[in-house]
Amino acid sequence: MNDISDAVDLLATAREALTDEILPLLPKERRYVGLMINNVIGIATRELQSGATATADEAERIAQLLQGQPNAANGPIEGREADLEGLRRTLCSAIRSGRFDAGNARDALAAHLARTTRDWVAISNPKALRSA
Amino acid sequence: MTLAATSETDPAVQAEAAIERWLKDATGASGLRVTRFELLPGGAIQENWLLDVSIPDGPWSGDHAWVLRTNAASSVAASLSRAEEYAVLRVAHAHAVAVPQPLFLCEDTAVTGREFFVMERLNGIAVGHRLTREAALVPDGDALAGELGANLARLHSIAPPHPELERALGRPRANHATACIAEYRAYLDTLFDAYPTIEYALRWCEVHAPNDARTTLIHRDYRTGNYLVDGGRLAGVLDWEFAGWGDPREDLGWFTARCWRFAGPDREAGGIASVEPFLHGYASVAGWSASRADLDYWQVMAHLRWAIIALQQAQRHLSGGERSLELALTGRIVHELEYEMVHIIEGRSR
Repeated sequence: MNDISDAVDLLATAREALTDEILPLLPKERRYVGLMINNVIGIATRELQSGATATADEAERIAQLLQGQPNAANGPIEGREADLEGLRRTLCSAIRSGRFDAGNARDALAAHLARTTRDWVAISNPKALRSA
Repeated sequence: MTLAATSETDPAVQAEAAIERWLKDATGASGLRVTRFELLPGGAIQENWLLDVSIPDGPWSGDHAWVLRTNAASSVAASLSRAEEYAVLRVAHAHAVAVPQPLFLCEDTAVTGREFFVMERLNGIAVGHRLTREAALVPDGDALAGELGANLARLHSIAPPHPELERALGRPRANHATACIAEYRAYLDTLFDAYPTIEYALRWCEVHAPNDARTTLIHRDYRTGNYLVDGGRLAGVLDWEFAGWGDPREDLGWFTARCWRFAGPDREAGGIASVEPFLHGYASVAGWSASRADLDYWQVMAHLRWAIIALQQAQRHLSGGERSLELALTGRIVHELEYEMVHIIEGRSR
């Protein structure tokens, strides 16, 4: 409980004002813009609520995936970086070179991507989620 | 825009007068009157103009309802030129593919400043969320899906060697799937961020690339939203600007991909029917149709292609050249597309 509105509450309140007071007044040819703004406020709200957690979890999982890579047989994965962008880039080149094609590595990667994409669809368009 | 609402200095009015003169000659008439000329909504890259004409004599004597298609002022050179699209339409029409009949092509940019062509105007509704929601528009989805399948198979009966089309479309590539994968990777490598799910799907498509690559004319945007339905029947397929040589299964995957089902996500054939009547219609003309494995493969490819296009749209917005809420939101679609790629691949890996 806050004493003043935080960003999430401000956005939720703005969205209510938009849907209750503005959208009904829009002429037909402006309605699409109004609906897009409504959609954008929803995405921004959800990203504020859970984007940071999704990002931190993703980075942690990628670090684990890359640690599980066999170094002896294929050589170390180069250019390993700690930040999410670096981790994603390293993971991408490992995927492209076939290091996650089969076996436990593939299964672990698939589980990671299922989780990551689910987290981001829950932010960008929760209606598209399948019931797990 | 109508004649009454514009002044004589309006470029549209000047263009209209020039088009009137040009069409008079093209139709071999002694006179020709444009009775209606209005920009139709939609089309950021191409403009479609409603064009009604009245012709007093000659082979085209009578009143006609046409569409004029030309490049938008801020056109990007990413798709076919109007002359190339016209060539594709002519060949498709000659093969009984349901399309607006192409009538006249003007490549002389001295006439209006841009090349244009004129085609027959078809009646019907194309809007995807309406066709997949309003049963009155599509009373028999199975029948419509069958027509769409048979129609697509007629398009795919057009194959190289085809000198007329190869002048417009160039030479086909040996393996459409692997060529697309290389193209998408090359684009990803120009971006600041990295996309592990897209890379995973690309790698999966590379490993599972078809070794029975085949090549036909393909539409590359054959989907709900791009065909007209009139009285529940297929009236014609629109937007041929992405047509080219490729694996016909790409069109089958694109048509059935979840991202093009609008209000009918559980109806695999473009949100209007289950996949069986669509494939049955296709097989009734082609003599073959896609297997479940083919469909899954090319649906992953469809989501990849759409994801690459969505990233390009997001770039147009973020690079500052073209700030747009719609382009920004298109970028966010990438998350759903990635989610769907993972889902299909998991289904095939179990």
